[in-house]
Amino acid sequence: MSALSPRRWLPHLVLGLGALVMLLPFYWMILTAIRSPSEIFDISLWPVPKHFAGIENFTQAATSVPMARFMLNGVIVCGGILIVQVLTAVPAAYALAKLRFPGRRLMLSLVIAALCVPMQALALPLFVGLAKAQLLNTYFAMMAPFLLSVFAIFLFHQSFRSYPDEIIEAARLDGFSELEICWRLVLRGSLPSLAAFAVFSVVAHWNDLYWPMIVVTRTELAPPPLGMLFFSDAETGANYGALMAGATLITAPIVLCFLAARKQFVAGITMTGVK
Amino acid sequence: MTAAFPAAIPHAAPRRDARARRMIRRGLAFAAPAAVLLVVIYLLPLVMLAGFSVTDYQLGALRWSFVGLKNFAAAFRDPVFLRALGNTALYAAIVIPCGIFLSLGAALLVHGTRRSRALWEIAYFLPVTATLVAMATVWQFLLHPTLGPVNAAITWLGAAPVSFLGTPALLIPTLALIGTWQIIGFNMVLFLAGLTAIPKDLTEAARLDGARHPVDRFLTVTWPMLGPTTMFVAVTTSISAFKVFETVAVLTKGRAGSETLLYALYLEGFDYSNTGYAAALTLIFLAIVLVLSIGQTLHLEKKVHY
Amino acid sequence: MHPNRRTILAGLAAGLSLTALSAPAFAADVTLNVLYNMPGFTKFHQPLAEAFEKANPGVKINFLAPAANYTEGQAQVLRAAVTGELPDVYFSGYNLTAELVHTLEPRGQITDLGPFIEKDGGQAFLDANYTPNMAALGQIDGRQWGLPVNASSPILYINADLVTEAGGDPANMPDTMPALIALGAKIHAMHPDIAGMAYDISGWPDDWLWQALIFEQGGTLVDAATGKVAFDNEIGLNAMKMIRQMAEEAGAPTLDWDQARQQFGAGKTGFMVSTPAHVQTIEGLVGDRFPLATATFPLDDKAKGGVPTGGNSAVMLTQDPAKQDAAWAYLKWITGPEAQDVIVRITGYLPTNKNATGAAYLAPYYADHPNVETASKQADRSLPWAGYPGGDSVRIWRTQRDIIGTVMRGEVTPEDGLAQLVRETNALMQ
Repeated sequence: MSALSPRRWLPHLVLGLGALVMLLPFYWMILTAIRSPSEIFDISLWPVPKHFAGIENFTQAATSVPMARFMLNGVIVCGGILIVQVLTAVPAAYALAKLRFPGRRLMLSLVIAALCVPMQALALPLFVGLAKAQLLNTYFAMMAPFLLSVFAIFLFHQSFRSYPDEIIEAARLDGFSELEICWRLVLRGSLPSLAAFAVFSVVAHWNDLYWPMIVVTRTELAPPPLGMLFFSDAETGANYGALMAGATLITAPIVLCFLAARKQFVAGITMTGVK
Repeated sequence: MTAAFPAAIPHAAPRRDARARRMIRRGLAFAAPAAVLLVVIYLLPLVMLAGFSVTDYQLGALRWSFVGLKNFAAAFRDPVFLRALGNTALYAAIVIPCGIFLSLGAALLVHGTRRSRALWEIAYFLPVTATLVAMATVWQFLLHPTLGPVNAAITWLGAAPVSFLGTPALLIPTLALIGTWQIIGFNMVLFLAGLTAIPKDLTEAARLDGARHPVDRFLTVTWPMLGPTTMFVAVTTSISAFKVFETVAVLTKGRAGSETLLYALYLEGFDYSNTGYAAALTLIFLAIVLVLSIGQTLHLEKKVHY
Repeated sequence: MHPNRRTILAGLAAGLSLTALSAPAFAADVTLNVLYNMPGFTKFHQPLAEAFEKANPGVKINFLAPAANYTEGQAQVLRAAVTGELPDVYFSGYNLTAELVHTLEPRGQITDLGPFIEKDGGQAFLDANYTPNMAALGQIDGRQWGLPVNASSPILYINADLVTEAGGDPANMPDTMPALIALGAKIHAMHPDIAGMAYDISGWPDDWLWQALIFEQGGTLVDAATGKVAFDNEIGLNAMKMIRQMAEEAGAPTLDWDQARQQFGAGKTGFMVSTPAHVQTIEGLVGDRFPLATATFPLDDKAKGGVPTGGNSAVMLTQDPAKQDAAWAYLKWITGPEAQDVIVRITGYLPTNKNATGAAYLAPYYADHPNVETASKQADRSLPWAGYPGGDSVRIWRTQRDIIGTVMRGEVTPEDGLAQLVRETNALMQ
């Protein structure tokens, strides 16, 4: 096959066209972040602005609101949520996939059912509960509804199920404790799932504005997207440059997070190869 | 299930009982933390919602009364709720197939590349990371009837410009396209993980068996082996399609009859402070989603595993 | 020297011991928790609070995270009322204040400002600071619950190039709605790809622009005697017809207000109606692309006509006497001439305190910034922006908006649209 055969370049062409569509919004986001207000609605998508306003826009986004504080809050909340989610979901998924105990089917059905329950539906009762417990305006309140991820249980359950029973049996005979089997053998076989879940969880909670703004009224605890609203609300109108600069700042950590997790996919994949 | 343990039968009965008991204890212990959270985070609030749903409580009111099933009856005469039901169905009908098949296609293509793989993964995944509050502004501009590049492309192709966010009939399809844009990357990553898990020798064996064309190999090996992944992607995509809320909240705010189910109950519960009625709507919503997704799970599970 | 852990810890310890030492001296300290809507308002609330703290040692202003808009702020306050964690001062949207008072008053969670005003001279205090129209914005059922902080009424933003080209005079715009629509139609006829005007009535989250069309013809929303809709007449029908004309003849787009503003900024709209709070943003967007002018909203009925006033008033929610005194001082400050001077310069709102327009404050600024002054020119015809009785205003607006949208797009005739509007509004007011 020559390097020019359609089978070589056709996939790249298709992927490239798709990527253009996927990336157009981000291109405009970054373009706006470096343009001055009067240039923003120039219809051209030419990447070089007549007047480079990137420094002003980013400075304004980073300094006129406590953006660093919002990001730190985001890290604390997302990190806390992810750790507890993994700690509770992995053993549960292992038990559901590989152990037999009474109530197993019931729990599995409940997990699948709970998957369909959106956070917004339970917001009010959860809010009242946290208020009664005097826990409003805490990091805990922001994490509480997400400490259990039924999505994680479901995902890990799916992926643990395909783990060979013989290996587990053999490990038991070798004197491995059940905890070791769960965390050191079975979970390692599902590292891609873990990485995928971690990215999913962080993305979902990093960008969540809805729940935090219900339980938190102190600005020091506010999540990153609140930083956006300072540049765009119904009354004052959008400061497009600062808004997009802020959006770029907020998106960057998630992209880094994905890049890190991507390496994990590779690691997980290599392991499967070794097996 | 029993067929999986044929080797256990010859063992002495007492030993097996002890083992089984130990297994049960472990199973319960492993599942306990998650089970407790399940009750606290999901079941208790649901009970509370059920309580609200039979009252006419309005947030902040000092008095309320028991109204029985009136709220539920009212829901099925509520034009906004019925409209939201239709809108959500339309949204799901677009997002579910597009979200699954486009991402499968992208995953297959990306899986075939070597050096550029990282690049494609990042490009397609980026929309998943988007901050919706800011993306709303981006979409407003991109889809603008007179300013946006999308319409510039449409007019360049010779068609009349389309007011995506100004024509009521196009609101839900536009939201669905944005929803698809957002979900493709995530599904693609799941499919890629599934594809990588397929042993290379299996594809090789198929090739030796005469499946020369990639399409043949896809149909004989890849597609069946992707069964569990596809099921997972299908279930999660449907669920997120039924839960569509944020794009509505930031892009249309339910304008011109574009409410979706979750947005409708958010309006009742939070904008109108109509706690009792909102609780009833929530329970109806949950019943619908539950029936749909459990049905789908069972159906797909059957196809995938037996 | 780079700050390391030790220096930071030492600094922290010093800071802590300082607070510990100084604590007794400020035993009478009061901290006011204040909630405002619109995060963009931070740019004036923050400096004004700092100035207030400096002038009133012992009082600290603690801002809660701002709510995204008036409706969300209202929902947040209602939730806080149930859990008993209300802010001490809240900036309530005018159109929602009645519902707020009706919910919180029976619970004993909102404070009537009457006694405080009495202490400061009663009616004389009000007269010295606010015009009767402005003061009325904070009155519910005849009692003063709030003091007006921000006030805006719809104004015209004009693309002077396009208006001049169509034979209009940007400095002397038509002063009736039909004449304005005709001007818009002329612009649209010259450039079919350009909207002659924008009136995004179907895109706003509330009924501000609908009220504007009723009020400018001298109409009212609700008949006080019957409790029914008062625009079921010529005025309402005419409003509907004009809305359809705007789209049909002047090419007004049916976009949401954000997209409409983008289009105006790009020079693709002859003129648009919007809030004066956008002046700064729009000036930035337009840049040098075209000369921007503003003008007052037209009045078809010069005698009885007026414009609805948007914005918010400060209400006092705290029930603690020590906090109430501090809150009253803060309310007077934020609605006083100095603070209003700052607010107007930062946002473009019209000042709520009548002393703020004087030579010591805004007069020189207005001379330099005619686009900001426009709003203040219609201060004397500002009418309250009322909600509907019955406590379901938000739902009523949403319903109305969608019906008006169908008329604007020509899917429903103005007659049928009005009938539907009247029927649904009356039903929802029950």
